Amino acid sequence: MNNTEIIKKSLMKRHLAESRFKTYGILGIISATVFLIVILSTIFIEGKSAFKSTYIKLDVFFDPSIIDPDGTRNIDEIRFANYRKVIKNSLKNYFPEVTGKEEMKSLTELISSSEEENLMQAVLKNNDLIGANKKVWLKASSKIDIIHKNPEMKDLSESNRLISDKELEWFDKLTRNGDVKFSLNKIFFLKADSTEPEQAGILGSILGSFFTLVITLILSFPIAVAAGVFLEELAPKNRLTDIIEININNLAAVPSIIFGLLGLAIFLNVMHLPRSAPIVGGMVLALMTLPTIIIATRVSLKAVPPSIREAAVGLGATKFQSVIHHVLPLAIPGIATGTIIGMSRALGESAPLLLIGMVAFIVDIPGSFTDSATVLPVQIYLWKSTAARGFVELTAAGVIVLLTFLILMNALAIFVRNKFEKKW
Amino acid sequence: MEKTKIESKKISVFYGDKKALSGISLDIPEKRVTSLIGPSGCGKSTFLRCLNRMNDTIDICRIEGKILVDGEDIYDRKLDPVLLRARIGMVFQKPNPFPKSIFDNVAYGPKIHGLTNSKDELSELVESSLKKAGLFNEVKDRLNEPGTSLSGGQQQRLCIARAIAVSPEVILMDEPCSALDPIATAVIEELIDEISKNFTIVIVTHSMQQAARVSNQTAFFHMGNLIEVGKTDEVFSMPKEKKTQDYITGKIG
Ligand SMILES: Nc1ncnc2c1ncn2[C@@H]1O[C@H](COP(=O)(O)OP(=O)(O)O)[C@@H](O)[C@H]1O
Ligand SMILES: [Mg+2]
Repeated sequence: MNNTEIIKKSLMKRHLAESRFKTYGILGIISATVFLIVILSTIFIEGKSAFKSTYIKLDVFFDPSIIDPDGTRNIDEIRFANYRKVIKNSLKNYFPEVTGKEEMKSLTELISSSEEENLMQAVLKNNDLIGANKKVWLKASSKIDIIHKNPEMKDLSESNRLISDKELEWFDKLTRNGDVKFSLNKIFFLKADSTEPEQAGILGSILGSFFTLVITLILSFPIAVAAGVFLEELAPKNRLTDIIEININNLAAVPSIIFGLLGLAIFLNVMHLPRSAPIVGGMVLALMTLPTIIIATRVSLKAVPPSIREAAVGLGATKFQSVIHHVLPLAIPGIATGTIIGMSRALGESAPLLLIGMVAFIVDIPGSFTDSATVLPVQIYLWKSTAARGFVELTAAGVIVLLTFLILMNALAIFVRNKFEKKW
Repeated sequence: MEKTKIESKKISVFYGDKKALSGISLDIPEKRVTSLIGPSGCGKSTFLRCLNRMNDTIDICRIEGKILVDGEDIYDRKLDPVLLRARIGMVFQKPNPFPKSIFDNVAYGPKIHGLTNSKDELSELVESSLKKAGLFNEVKDRLNEPGTSLSGGQQQRLCIARAIAVSPEVILMDEPCSALDPIATAVIEELIDEISKNFTIVIVTHSMQQAARVSNQTAFFHMGNLIEVGKTDEVFSMPKEKKTQDYITGKIG
């Protein structure tokens, strides 16, 4: 047998092994893609309805005897007037057949109680409304919204449905008259959490996440880059720096909740910083992000060819000058990419923040680093663990918002890498 | 009689436990070209890098012996290696311009040492350095383009201009033409000839023809030892040592 024949004999087997391996690879990719599509589409299907909500058109009479009985246009009087009654009266006009006290109460509940505040704001802004008659789109309550979004629920028996036969009848009448519409759910984008699903919004937690991440970035980026540069370029290679290096690598693998425990013990219990505040959350996440950025810094510095350092040192630059003038600028794209990825991990983090109290129910939109706040993933967790039916779609919508931010940040990382990477 | 610029006295170098050079004593004359030849791994680069203390940047490298530049011990504790490297410039095997503009490449040395007082003075220095390196005419219209956009030979001349801009007394060159084609090599060799009027040059080369063409003095290294040193034409025409003879006739290498 000559060589050609020997090789030919094994050739079949070798090619087969290769195509088998390819098949496994393709199967793996397909299953991963299918899972991803299933997860994303369920979230999207569930969540997209939360971006719209149901509005009901009513003829509202801004009754002076309720809003401003003395006619003094006194702000306090206008502010604390009974707007519930204003809404109740317009509903009474629309449904003259309703009389009983109990019935009247459920009729008023067609409209979200958040609208009382909105009417008040409108009157405060424009005093001329007092005494006027105006057609206004008012937000429907959560249960009406759910029935509107899931019409198949109308066929259920009364006890299995969220609303009574009477309420359904009223809603149908409104629909027939063309006084019901879907419109952008502004509250979702403009408000913080609430006990009522139709009044709950994501802006509070978006800002909470923003303030938290600003602190994380301000603290972790300069410290980590300085530490990375020192360890990689300037520190002597000895036992001590070896130990530090191992510890930093281990720190990157520490479960994030440990950092939360540390934050609780030191920042809250010893330093007495405010509970639930972005400043503390940011500090905790900075601890968590530090090793990631340090490692990214060192890897990017290592990737800069030694010839650049030699060129600078050979000209009489000090080691520090060669790093600051030449090596670090070349490493910046890599460091920036690592930082953005570290930040997007921090954005998705919830466990350590639960421990420092950023899980509280907070109705106000945070305005500073020390205000009580929650963050996006924790808000999702809070909504998910609330029983009311209306929070289901909010949970999914929250996930959509969080994923959108994460995708944007990762896209930014890719952009930075491609745009600023220097070839040498 | 030529003045001696650098005197190395019994230099031994160790990388960790491994001895790379043993007891090298070699005098380098001022404003002449000295070439270091020998088979690869014999310690030429190591010796060259001792002369401007570039070996300091390698943690495991240890040096014994003395090197005097103008009679002054460069391994003296009081001597600052940063100052030494401004006096003794270096050109590397692979052209290594900074990924910055041609202008900034040449201006970098003068800038960090504060050699010029004004922008105009700096531009003049950059221009004259590029002229000395025979590069100015080729790049005068594109000083703001990156140095890495030049051809290999131009990059190496840019590196020479960059070294010249600091006005060193000595220029060390470690196989400066090994990454270049024959035409670019000829240009660099001519340039070396030209600048040797003003600078002391030590060049490592693996090409004996190059050593013969450019240098006044040649030193032959073999396995960490200095076998022979002498006037270039003498070393090549009548080597005293058997090993040198074997090397230049191609029996070892
Ligand atoms: N950084 C280093 N670390 C360890 N050993 C080295 C290092 N640089 C050079 N050596 C060793 O020192 C010897 C001489 O190397 P070198 O001076 O580069 O030789 P040449 O330039 O003549 O080819 C070689 O055996 C090489 O392996
Ligand atoms: Mg070498």
